Amino acid sequence: MAMGLPRLVAVAFTLALVSIFPPLPFSLAGEITSIESVPDLQKLMYVAVDGYPCVRLLNLSGEIGCSNPGLSKVVAPLIKLKDVKDLVEPHTVLVTADEMEDFFTRHVPLCSWCLLNISVNKVTFVVSASGANDVLFTRMILVSNDLSFASKIGGVLIESGSSFQQKLKGLSPDKMFPQAEFSPYKNVEYKWNPMASSIMWKAYNFPVYLLSESGITAVQKFLSKKDMKHKTYTSDVAEFNMVMETTKAGTHNSKACLQEGTCLPLGGYSVWSSLPPINVSSSNNRKPIVLTVASMDSASFFRDKSFGADSPISGLVALLGAVDALSRVEGLSNLKKQLDVCILQLVFLVLTGETWGYLGSRRFLHELDLHSDAVADLSDTLIETVLEIGSVGKGLSGGINTFFAHKTRVSSATNMTLDALKIAQDSFASKNIKILSADKTNPGIPPSSTMAFMKKNPQTSAVVLEDFDTKFVNKFYHSHLDDLSNINSSSVVAAASVLARTLYILASDNKDSALGSIHVNASFVEELLACLLSCEPGLSCNLVKDYISPTNTSPGNYAGVMSGEPSSNPYLGSVGDVSRFLWNFLAEKTSVQKGNTTSVCSKGSCSRTDQVCIKAESNKEGTCVVSTTRYVPAYSTRLKYADGAWTILPQNRSDSMGMVDPVWTESNWNTIGLQVYTVQHSAYDNAVLVAGITVTTLAYIGIMVAKSFITKALKQD
Amino acid sequence: MTVAAGIGYALLALGPSLSLFVSVISRKPFLILTLLSSTLVWLVSLIILSGLWRPFLPLKANVWWPYALLVLSSVCFQEALRFLFWKLYMRLEDVLDSFADRISRPRLFLTDKLQIALAGGLGHGVAHAVFFCLSLLTPAFGPATFYVDRCSKVPFFLVSAIIALAFVTIHTFSMVIAFEGYAKGNKVDQVIVPVIHLSAGMLTLVNFASEGCVIGVPLLYLVASLTLLHCGKMVWQRLIESQNQSGSTLR
Repeated sequence: MAMGLPRLVAVAFTLALVSIFPPLPFSLAGEITSIESVPDLQKLMYVAVDGYPCVRLLNLSGEIGCSNPGLSKVVAPLIKLKDVKDLVEPHTVLVTADEMEDFFTRHVPLCSWCLLNISVNKVTFVVSASGANDVLFTRMILVSNDLSFASKIGGVLIESGSSFQQKLKGLSPDKMFPQAEFSPYKNVEYKWNPMASSIMWKAYNFPVYLLSESGITAVQKFLSKKDMKHKTYTSDVAEFNMVMETTKAGTHNSKACLQEGTCLPLGGYSVWSSLPPINVSSSNNRKPIVLTVASMDSASFFRDKSFGADSPISGLVALLGAVDALSRVEGLSNLKKQLDVCILQLVFLVLTGETWGYLGSRRFLHELDLHSDAVADLSDTLIETVLEIGSVGKGLSGGINTFFAHKTRVSSATNMTLDALKIAQDSFASKNIKILSADKTNPGIPPSSTMAFMKKNPQTSAVVLEDFDTKFVNKFYHSHLDDLSNINSSSVVAAASVLARTLYILASDNKDSALGSIHVNASFVEELLACLLSCEPGLSCNLVKDYISPTNTSPGNYAGVMSGEPSSNPYLGSVGDVSRFLWNFLAEKTSVQKGNTTSVCSKGSCSRTDQVCIKAESNKEGTCVVSTTRYVPAYSTRLKYADGAWTILPQNRSDSMGMVDPVWTESNWNTIGLQVYTVQHSAYDNAVLVAGITVTTLAYIGIMVAKSFITKALKQD
Repeated sequence: MTVAAGIGYALLALGPSLSLFVSVISRKPFLILTLLSSTLVWLVSLIILSGLWRPFLPLKANVWWPYALLVLSSVCFQEALRFLFWKLYMRLEDVLDSFADRISRPRLFLTDKLQIALAGGLGHGVAHAVFFCLSLLTPAFGPATFYVDRCSKVPFFLVSAIIALAFVTIHTFSMVIAFEGYAKGNKVDQVIVPVIHLSAGMLTLVNFASEGCVIGVPLLYLVASLTLLHCGKMVWQRLIESQNQSGSTLR
């Protein structure tokens, strides 16, 4: 029998277990079905709960997000919010998505500055008591009550799912006017986001987790045992391991944490590409640019559940769909030749970090000013007009896809773009796409990357295409519920179709010839949506895998952090999956082949300077194509990387956006984890110990009595 | 749970064995050697059984009869091994007796023989408890406890400690009964030991049923009590016989 002794011992162990409790069938989260070893037993005892944490983010003035309050794990009994009554000790409160906003706004407004405000309010109340300020009094009582409640919160688990999209009127943890500080106009009280609760911009001194589907199952299984008799001497607890480095080090703002190295700045890599490629040696690099912009990052209360389906990924997918359509036009070479001689240069720019102070667009403009390598091909070139594709996933209503063009100012360039949009709209035989000008009573363009362009140069001609007019139609703006089921793919296809034809018209100044041949591939758009907005298949879809080897399946769409030195030719390990995919995709779609041969990359680089090496990750050997596609680092213009560390630059009055830049950073952390398990009350533990000692002592007494009895009996011999 | 509970469970399972070891076994090195060799024999038997059953594992969790076969085969094998252990002991006893004769020292007393059987039994029992309970107790020292759905009122570790205690008792005193049965050629004692062992093993199958432990564990303790009583009765009779024999020799 060719079995090793350890294996036999393992089998013997199984037999041992079998003899205690013959069959132990379990099925928790579909993992463990029977106990065959002590590690199996431990996995059943300590159930790892899958979810998405809310993490600690910092800016120059303080903190937002969530963290364990101290340096140790938080262990607190589970309780549903509806069962909460006069808690004595801290608990882990299970909150459903529909209770979430109320919970965080009414019950737990706790952060250090909130406490300060409360004490200030108390003083104010005393001082103004003669004025009988009832409102203030009521508020003070309410918050005071909530303070005691908040101190009884050990942690929070959020139970959510797509079904809540129907139940809820809306849920947006962002502000009424997101990133109003970067607004080019003064009416910052305007309510673009009517569902806003602002809860993601507050600091919570306890861990918060959004449960995944398997996480919900695991927690529900624990809670369903509530009726069992052993509940009288046990509790089901959740253990949060969410200790942040900034808490450990006591660094509570970006400046302090960057100095101590306990955080990293938010950012990533934006990608731009031109169609056709810019030939630096020829004269066409001086052609004015039509800059088509979209964003690739979103945000939510929970770091890794920021799909941002409508805002802004629908716009990104529409842009990619349009690029794909332009690259597939019959007689592509003819089209590219036409574009080669056309009056404007098409440049596609996909930005990241836009949610956190328009990091991508501000850095792009800054790099243009610096004439850096990342934008060398665009330097000294006029940006004629900017066409931004914002949220376009919810344009479908009554069978017609309606989009609104928000323009910056009246100019020939914006009129040209609006005219092109109108021609593109009319070119569809089905007449199911409508492009309307946004309401003139709007204070200006909605929150978008174009704001950064406007702040940089108020004369910028720009049009932002959105699915809303006066306020967001996305009820789940920057919420974890803004997922694939929140948008309509046909709306994205329609936006892509309009965009493709508009860009063709703008670039070629040809209003009639090939428009009818530009068609967006609807199945391609749907596949792309599934890749970028779901975890199944997510980034492991064939479309993405054709270009890169993704490190994560779930796209997340959180901006991420800058972990190394920013560069125009970055180490690919520090570039996000989506950025790398976009770079390869855009490089391929905007490429032209010089001659009929495609050369193979050697060691990821090509011999000619106008070529880039694509698909090098997914294939053993990449392909060299002629394309002008570049990475541009996206991080705050207030930051500088030198000698392996980040430092904050002093404020520069000429950089108006830098003056208001919060400089967002994310705290470092070792591991983040959540597990649930059952604990016995200490009285029960002590009773077991006493029982063990008693049995041992009684056995000893019994043995000694028997021994003396036998000895006595034998002595009588 | 805590360290207190972990120690409590360990003491429940092995506390009486520890008492027996301290008060009886540890006084005589030969008994310690007997205990260790008995423990080794029992562990080797478990490993051999594992090898035999390896091709059939894992057994289906919802069918009980393969487990009954497993218990039956294990009991048969271990009882055969017990007989071999006794044979080995007999040889050793002969050697010791002849050695005692050569140096004009008295042969083994009845109490010596009983203590050797007791040490052999304790070796089996301790091996059982260490392998079936103590090895499982490692997680019990952590913060969490664990309940099995089919025995939802009592912690898993407590049940295993209680069952281990019952088996330690059964194994320890079964060996005394068996040795005496083999020595005296008493068929009843020779048969009753495998029956006790098999009954105890089969009673663990009651745990298949929902809340079966509520019935299975008390029944197991009934078997352990009967074993203890039978052993006590048998030892009492042997003592009386011994007294009578020594009385008649004096006359």
